[in-house]
Amino acid sequence: MVFRCAVHNMKLLTHNMLTSKCMKGVTVGYPLGIVAKDIKVSETEFNSEFVSRIIPKLDWNALWKAADSIGHSGDLPQQLMEDYENNEEFLKKVHHVLLEVEIINGELVCPESGRKFPISQGIPNMLLNEDEL
Amino acid sequence: MTGFATRKVVRKVKKLTSMLHRESGIECCEEPTKYLFIGNAGLTTGLQRECLVPHFTKYGIVDDVVMIPGKSYCFIVFRDANACAVAFNNLQAKQIVPDYPEVLYLAFARSVPTVENKDWHNGPPGSVVLENFVNETEEEILLHCIDWGTSDSGQHLKHRRVIHYGYEFQYHNNNINKDEPLKDKIPEECSVLFDRLKQMGYITSCPDQLTINQYLPGQGIPPHIDTHSACEGTILSLSLGSSVIMEFKHRDGQSMSLLLPQRSMLIMSGEARYAWSHGITPRKTDIMPCPGGGLSVQNRGVRTSFTFRWTRKDKCICSYHLECDSYNEKESSEQNDAGATELEKLHVHKVYEDIAEHFSETRHKPWPNVLDFVQSFPKGSVLVDVGCGNGKYFGQNKDIYEIGCDSSWNLSSLCKDRGFQVFTCNCLALPLRNDSADACISIAVIHHLANENRRLKAVQEIVRVLRQEGMALIYVWAKNQEYNNKKSSYLKQNWHNRKSKCNKTNAHEPPVVNAEEEKSQTEKYSKFSESSSFSLPLHTNRTQFLHKDVLVPWKLKPQSQKLQTAEVRTFYRYYHVFEKQELEDLCLREKNVELVKSFYDQGNWCVIIKKK
Repeated sequence: MVFRCAVHNMKLLTHNMLTSKCMKGVTVGYPLGIVAKDIKVSETEFNSEFVSRIIPKLDWNALWKAADSIGHSGDLPQQLMEDYENNEEFLKKVHHVLLEVEIINGELVCPESGRKFPISQGIPNMLLNEDEL
Repeated sequence: MTGFATRKVVRKVKKLTSMLHRESGIECCEEPTKYLFIGNAGLTTGLQRECLVPHFTKYGIVDDVVMIPGKSYCFIVFRDANACAVAFNNLQAKQIVPDYPEVLYLAFARSVPTVENKDWHNGPPGSVVLENFVNETEEEILLHCIDWGTSDSGQHLKHRRVIHYGYEFQYHNNNINKDEPLKDKIPEECSVLFDRLKQMGYITSCPDQLTINQYLPGQGIPPHIDTHSACEGTILSLSLGSSVIMEFKHRDGQSMSLLLPQRSMLIMSGEARYAWSHGITPRKTDIMPCPGGGLSVQNRGVRTSFTFRWTRKDKCICSYHLECDSYNEKESSEQNDAGATELEKLHVHKVYEDIAEHFSETRHKPWPNVLDFVQSFPKGSVLVDVGCGNGKYFGQNKDIYEIGCDSSWNLSSLCKDRGFQVFTCNCLALPLRNDSADACISIAVIHHLANENRRLKAVQEIVRVLRQEGMALIYVWAKNQEYNNKKSSYLKQNWHNRKSKCNKTNAHEPPVVNAEEEKSQTEKYSKFSESSSFSLPLHTNRTQFLHKDVLVPWKLKPQSQKLQTAEVRTFYRYYHVFEKQELEDLCLREKNVELVKSFYDQGNWCVIIKKK
């Protein structure tokens, strides 16, 4: 069977949910730092309702910092603006950062322990060794 | 009655009476006797004696109701044959008992079976009932010392109200939570009981654990044996407020009913404590012996029982090995964490890595119930698939954000290539924020974890990641592959079970490569000396499971056409297959979980749970 899907790598929306809190000795483990070696920007379909429903689930500060750290925050405001539901221009910016900026290769870094989780071929490897559990 | 209907009744009655004759040698006859045989109502048909009796007493004095354990028939014994005949004429083939859908088929019997004279006052060896152990004043005092409202350990169970002192007794595993002593100790009012028992020589020290259960009429407690390692060899139970019949059962099939009168103290020790289960059947009345002989129906009142236990500090050393968890611990196939990690590494993670491509080829068609669940979430929902494999449940709902994770890199890679978000991790440590997902699915994953703690941990991780009110759907393989007399699709693919060519794309497992090898119906114990140190039963594909912890073969077809001569490689995946209810119980051990739905789907036990 052939799947005709665009291949996607780790998006910042996924990154926004990831943490290293399950590691031994780590309490918060959030947000994970990003060391990006390869970044890909790909266009995906914009849906304003989807984006405005996702926003309340985000850690906005973590999203902005992540985007900024890899040079892709653009003119996304550092603070989440009010009444964003009706601000299509703003939602498009969020859409871009959340869903169009992808990390192909690089690392995620635990803010507490410094442990590095490699991202290769767009897949973060979050597997822990036994002594880290 | 029409002729046809009459013939039907005659036929039914004939069938039932000949069964009676076959089983017990008792004959039925045309002429009235005082023994009325009811052919299709008895202890096994769920009809309660007390529901039946009033419909017959209106025709005359009923001396006895003879119900035989394990039988679907019973007898009403009238004082005289005339009354019996009137009852017969009025009730034959009538549906007389409300809520009991069957019409009753009656006949006159020449005699009734002798049911072993039920001894209501003697329980199994090791049980003693001390009648009038407390007086009415003491009963009042004890009932008033319970503070149902404020204690932190009070809970309403499905069938009764319960409160613990000293330590919590956990009914899900009949064990005591010794790690967390409760702040409420056994109330002072109880010490008079212990003094009395000491004087009588039944005990030498005071118990340190008390469970108070309150049963409303109609409530009961399932049969259980208190876990041996949880508490010592004596358990006390004081009955207040109402009498009740306690049912004892032995694994050899014996059963006994013991009357626990109001204000009596039951002492269980030895065999009664270790080898017999005890329970209370949920019903509103009990059939109890009358002082003048015979039986009568007695309404239950609100019964409050005080169960006292002595928590056990060491392992149990009793000789009732079959029921003893301490003894069986050594024998159990349940792995400790180090063993489990090793087993999963070798017989789960490594295998999936090796068979990923072939495995993925067999995973296309999503299961309808999973699909329904995934599609039920509104726009902007976040779905996490724990153990996503190739992501076969992704892309089915275009409105949601899907993230998959799997321990296998190769499967994750296949999932990513299909355009989905994925990362690798172990399901025991989900690298996700708390309360971040609206929905989780975990299909055929948790059964790969090699001990109960790890399976619980996996559920806990899913629940942690869910937001409040978030829902998860979990599928695990069922030990029983036949439910309601239907074979699962897994069994149906057995060469020998096939009636027609089956649709392999909907299969849970790949088609059998060599049916000849699948003939054996037994799970052989296999030592994998060359590859591992685990000695687990080897499951035969597409047969019923005989064991709960097994290795399931996966036959890997040669990748390329050229290699047709190449040998089929067999891999062995570890599975813990689930008993009925086991998955529900596992999930409900997590306190903030609500069970939304529980079902069986093609050889899998499935639950939908919600985070409270």
